[in-house]
Amino acid sequence: MSPWQLTPEGNAIVWCGCPAPPICPPSGPASVHSLVLLRIERSAAQSLRTVLNSKPAAMGVDLYYMDLSAPCRSVMLLAKAIGLELNLKVTNIMTGETRTPEFIKMNPQHCLPTMDDDGFKLWESRAILSYLASKYGPAHLYPSDPKERAVVDQRLYFDMGTLYERFGKCVYPLMFGDGKIADNALDNLKEALGWLEGFFGDNQFVAGPKQTVADFAIASTVATIEACELVDLAAYPKLSAWLAACKTDMPGYAELNGQGATAFGGFYKAKLNA
Amino acid sequence: MADGSKPVELHYMPLSAPCRSVLLLAKSIGLQLTPKLCNVLAGDNRTQHYLQMNPQHTIPTMDDNGFYLWESRAILGYLASKYGPAHLYPSDPKERAVVDQRLYFDMGTLYERFAKCTIPLMFGNRPVEEDAIPKLNEALGWLEGFFGDNQYVAGPKQTVADFSLASTIATIEASEVTDFMPYPKLRAWLASCKAEMPGYAELNDDGAKSFGELYKQAKAKASA
Repeated sequence: MSPWQLTPEGNAIVWCGCPAPPICPPSGPASVHSLVLLRIERSAAQSLRTVLNSKPAAMGVDLYYMDLSAPCRSVMLLAKAIGLELNLKVTNIMTGETRTPEFIKMNPQHCLPTMDDDGFKLWESRAILSYLASKYGPAHLYPSDPKERAVVDQRLYFDMGTLYERFGKCVYPLMFGDGKIADNALDNLKEALGWLEGFFGDNQFVAGPKQTVADFAIASTVATIEACELVDLAAYPKLSAWLAACKTDMPGYAELNGQGATAFGGFYKAKLNA
Repeated sequence: MADGSKPVELHYMPLSAPCRSVLLLAKSIGLQLTPKLCNVLAGDNRTQHYLQMNPQHTIPTMDDNGFYLWESRAILGYLASKYGPAHLYPSDPKERAVVDQRLYFDMGTLYERFAKCTIPLMFGNRPVEEDAIPKLNEALGWLEGFFGDNQYVAGPKQTVADFSLASTIATIEASEVTDFMPYPKLRAWLASCKAEMPGYAELNDDGAKSFGELYKQAKAKASA
């Protein structure tokens, strides 16, 4: 049971009396400790309770990844930005490392990235981004206001279902399939980039005036598109400015996203010229 | 009742599974929606007004008193958070993460693989790939596994993921591209959706059946 609970009125939090309080002095008696904070705003009480009940990543968070994979890079970028140390586990999907019995037990869908937070296994990069941001990051990264969050969510679904999907149609058949790229694949990608350009409005970040998990998801997608040299991103000034800011402002960008994107681009271009 | 001066409007088509998810959820939480039929096959989503609301011109598109939102799963999360009971989209990061993984699975794996079984015939004048149905069955197997000992797709309580998946699964069922015999938990869950989700027949079943009919006609034509 989470040791910190709200009082029935919701405007105070109380320690339930477990013998191992986190903030009482170690020399205190092992019997009931109660610390009651009175008369704070309901929302503050709830937030404070969540913070106090969150255990820090005791064993660290494991991330099974490959740096060719844009979704994996999003998670690594976010973790670095929020100061969360990940236990990175390189997993080569192409040589069958996601098909071992151990991996399949963890994730029957055997996809990357897969996260293991002290026994809690999770996949789908965008679910991981929201989870890590909510659990370990500052609130603005995944705002709790329904309207603000809905905009972030729409950008995340756009990234998966439209932007990366259309990018995939331009490159995957050549890299992994029969080589047949549909005639309209590149036009469809450009259309999606145009929509993304429009989403910025007057904002500095993809989902509003503050950075959110959507910036991390889309930074890896756009970096990979750039590395494949399919499209001139200069046609999208807001997108270009935002990407330039990601490169300078996201900690560890070069090593956590730049390198992997370049590697993916290299792989694609080698197939193109083969 | 929505705050602001008007009920939430939803631009939709019954053929569209993502639209049906939202209609089902709204009914379930007692949220009055003003449904606005939008026939994408006739270009209703390409009017200037529609493009101002949603430049991507997709359905469903929601208008909550001037707040425009698209992506059905974002709409589900928004409506549940704003107007529904907390269990539908829990705030605990771990519980929510499981719901989110199911939502992304629905979009990126299940519906995606189902589309590969149907869209080429219905809209592409192309044959379906040989591995399309086996891959769909693989995804259904994963979904079966996700239930564990739970009654609902993302845990012991109903969440927005149940609404998202109910429309996908109903549409797969109506198309008859595969059967659900190997998936007892999925069958039991679908049966309870039909019995318990308010308005299921009119908000989901009818539209799924229409989609199924269109698909079967296209398939028959292609084989002729």
